Amino acid sequence: MDGPDEIIHQSTRLRIAATLNALPSGELMEFGKLKSILGATDGNMATHLAALEKAGYIAVEKDFVGKKPRTRVSFTRVGRRAFERHVAYLKDLLEGGG
Amino acid sequence: MNVTREEAAKALDDIDKASDRVFQLQGYHHGAPHFIIWGLVWLAANSASYFLTDAARFAWPIALAFGFVASTVVGILQSRKWPKGKTASAAERRFGSRMGMTAGIVMLFIVCITLIAQPTDSREINAMISIVFPFLYMAGGIWAGWRLFAIGLVTAAAIIFGYFWLAEHFELWMGLFGGGSLIAGGIWLRTA
Repeated sequence: MDGPDEIIHQSTRLRIAATLNALPSGELMEFGKLKSILGATDGNMATHLAALEKAGYIAVEKDFVGKKPRTRVSFTRVGRRAFERHVAYLKDLLEGGG
Repeated sequence: MNVTREEAAKALDDIDKASDRVFQLQGYHHGAPHFIIWGLVWLAANSASYFLTDAARFAWPIALAFGFVASTVVGILQSRKWPKGKTASAAERRFGSRMGMTAGIVMLFIVCITLIAQPTDSREINAMISIVFPFLYMAGGIWAGWRLFAIGLVTAAAIIFGYFWLAEHFELWMGLFGGGSLIAGGIWLRTA
């Protein structure tokens, strides 16, 4: 059995990953929407998104809608696979495999 | 890094909650334009029946035809709105076809209760058919999210109030508050 994914396991990052994983593959979610779903602060979100991006688990896209800046994030294939492995690890642990 | 069984259970619970929230929001966003379309149908058909008595018999068929066509087109556009190169999964296609079948069963139910109860005037027919939908929204809301339940509750209350206390102006009431509550509900779902 693989070990836990140390990047994903942190509580806020786990919830970010679970939220992005529930979207269809490649679909983007706006930063504000993600923040509101998780009830997190701007600073907290930015820190954890940066950690996930550095690991290659999420892609961050920044653009403008009119004059308004927009930040959107999506799960990468690597991130989705890491999340699936981590969930499998957690399930194994609960079922006594750990 | 060590993870205890308690931490694992909590993590899986957090994952379930986050996934449920996303599915709820996706349901709200998919439902929103349909609520606005059917709100416009109610608004237009009831207002036309109230103000243009001679045109009343044409108002509903035209408005309903618009509603079915517009809702179908929006549904098709939503099913195509997937990331490039991706298509809806088998589960999502099954969900779509089940929604279609559910709508068909509801229509059949309305035809049956209308034939059995045989309402005698247009106010009774209007109220009897219209009241089915908010209760469906409430039932759906128990599963899909409280906003849907709230829209159903407000719309049902508007229909009942109008039927018993505003009989003379029932169609106008239904247009403004029945249709209006659906339009406002659709916009509210969009902002979730």
